[in-house]
Amino acid sequence: MKILIKKFGKINSSVLLLCIIFLVLELIGHRHGETSIEDFTFFPAFFGFLSCIIIFKIGVSLRSFLMKDEDYYDK
Amino acid sequence: MISNFPPGLIMIIGALLIPFLPHIIRQIYMMILVLISTYSLTLGFGTHSAINLMGFDFILFQADSLTLPFAIIFHIAAALNVIYGAHEKHWKQHVSIMSYSGAAIAAVHAGDLFTLFIWWEATAFTSVFLILAGNTYRSYKSAFRYILIQVTSGMFLLAGAIVLLINDGSALLTKFDINSLYGQLIFIAFGIKAAFPLLNGWLQDSYPEASEIGTVALSTFTTKLAIFCFAKCFAGTELLIVIGAIMTFYPIFFAVIENDLRRVLTYSLNNQLGFMIVAIGIGTELAINGAVAHAFAHILYKGLLFMGMGAVLYRVGTCKASELGGLFKYMPITAVCTIIGAISISAFPLFSGFVAKSLIMSALGKEGLVLVYFMLLFASAGVLHHSGIKIPFFAFFAHESGIKTKEAPLNMIVAMIIASALCILIGIFPSTFYQILPYEINYQPYDFSHVVGQLQLLTFAAFAFICLWHFKIYPPELNSTVLNSDWVYRKMLPGVLIPLLKLVEKMNQKFEWILRISFTRTKLFLSDTMLKNKVFDREVGSDTLIVVQIFTVFLILIFIGQFFK
Repeated sequence: MKILIKKFGKINSSVLLLCIIFLVLELIGHRHGETSIEDFTFFPAFFGFLSCIIIFKIGVSLRSFLMKDEDYYDK
Repeated sequence: MISNFPPGLIMIIGALLIPFLPHIIRQIYMMILVLISTYSLTLGFGTHSAINLMGFDFILFQADSLTLPFAIIFHIAAALNVIYGAHEKHWKQHVSIMSYSGAAIAAVHAGDLFTLFIWWEATAFTSVFLILAGNTYRSYKSAFRYILIQVTSGMFLLAGAIVLLINDGSALLTKFDINSLYGQLIFIAFGIKAAFPLLNGWLQDSYPEASEIGTVALSTFTTKLAIFCFAKCFAGTELLIVIGAIMTFYPIFFAVIENDLRRVLTYSLNNQLGFMIVAIGIGTELAINGAVAHAFAHILYKGLLFMGMGAVLYRVGTCKASELGGLFKYMPITAVCTIIGAISISAFPLFSGFVAKSLIMSALGKEGLVLVYFMLLFASAGVLHHSGIKIPFFAFFAHESGIKTKEAPLNMIVAMIIASALCILIGIFPSTFYQILPYEINYQPYDFSHVVGQLQLLTFAAFAFICLWHFKIYPPELNSTVLNSDWVYRKMLPGVLIPLLKLVEKMNQKFEWILRISFTRTKLFLSDTMLKNKVFDREVGSDTLIVVQIFTVFLILIFIGQFFK
């Protein structure tokens, strides 16, 4: 635990801890979603993690043709 | 008389006195104006005031269950703006904010399209001064683009109103059919103000160029007025679901790469409007309640986030992620309030975003719109990424920027604390909040499934960001301009039109030259022929030549005409 905090930082480790707690919570109670696909175990967790990675990936790939110099419009 | 006075109008008229009052008294006076305006909200539902001009009934004050929540939040926002801007000693922005808020409130209570048009344009003309108050050459240019787009929207609205008046003989503000011409014109007018995809350029262009106080006011009224109008006139229009889903989706990627944090917030604003538009498109009672609740909550947390960034801009002079960082130790209260705004917009349970967004998500689930549901769920993770984490992280934490500053002025702090408190209170007491919604509702956002599902989604999205940052995969923020749909009229059209105009000018010159040459040559030829053959014993004058040439043209036309018989 101490190694994790040392390597990963206090805040980061606590977020990881929260992630684990919310996963465990699902195992204790019965969670059901608005749609049947959501009923899979840990679906929101996977969905949230993957969405964030996808957004990041697409965002970074858009940099090459959407990002221009700061004075682009002033030229 | 005073009891029939439309809400907001007193603020517009009262704003004329603001320049003549000294600084602090001015703020108290403005607060009193807002309070007087709220009195009209106690009159209950119905049409309270109308005037007949030129044979047309202008319905100035009409209240119903939909206008009430918007009127309440607009008044709260106006009061918060007065507090937030109290440090500003000059009267110009105060006049602008007061009349702008008043115009938006009056617009909400308009009962017909022509009254709405007047206030619609009034919001544009009063708010443009807030962008000019940015006091840079950029903001000056941006303000002109802003007013052009806003007036265009107004023209569409006016055109729609006139067509409707000619067709139906009245222009009452009711539900419109999207398949009619007037419906389409009005739809475009609302769509421009609601920053629909590809019509959204003005939003990201102008808002971040405004002054620190101006952006807070701007973020509240114009776009939410459009949302109100959609809810009133186009509830249940299926096209809105598609447009809204795209709106929630695509600004996320722009927000992720944008460097100016206030511009990130405008993309996020655009994405939040998408949630409301989807809900209006569904059109069920639950969905409309969701749209209104979301607009209400959104004005508070988005205003709070803009206040936080405004405070940073006021103290540091920049809002660029690449230049900020480590401000938490200098501006702890601003940081905490911004984080509360960020948590609210991310829709964490016990905060306002959660109780509002849950209504929309449930409405989508109930209607079985699975694809749109997942697009919005994806967008929710996106909101956490760009507004929930990026805004507070890059401003107050991230790397040490070396900037030394002090906490925001007291009035800013007070406004931020009030907004934060409201965000939390709405989150804790949803049933009280739901009472102001247009339709009666029996909804419980805090059940096990909702809470655990949402917490998993958000914490894991946050964890993904942490991994990206910790393992240095996240690229550094760069000083840059991110291209948006305003590129079309800022770069592409001038890029195409200016060379095209130059080409036309060149061709015109060439044409004139050819004409002149041919004219002289014909004249010479005719003179020669006439003199040689002794038709006339004099030279050909210009008048003869013109007659001959017109005659020739006619002959040619008649000759060509033969082939088309």
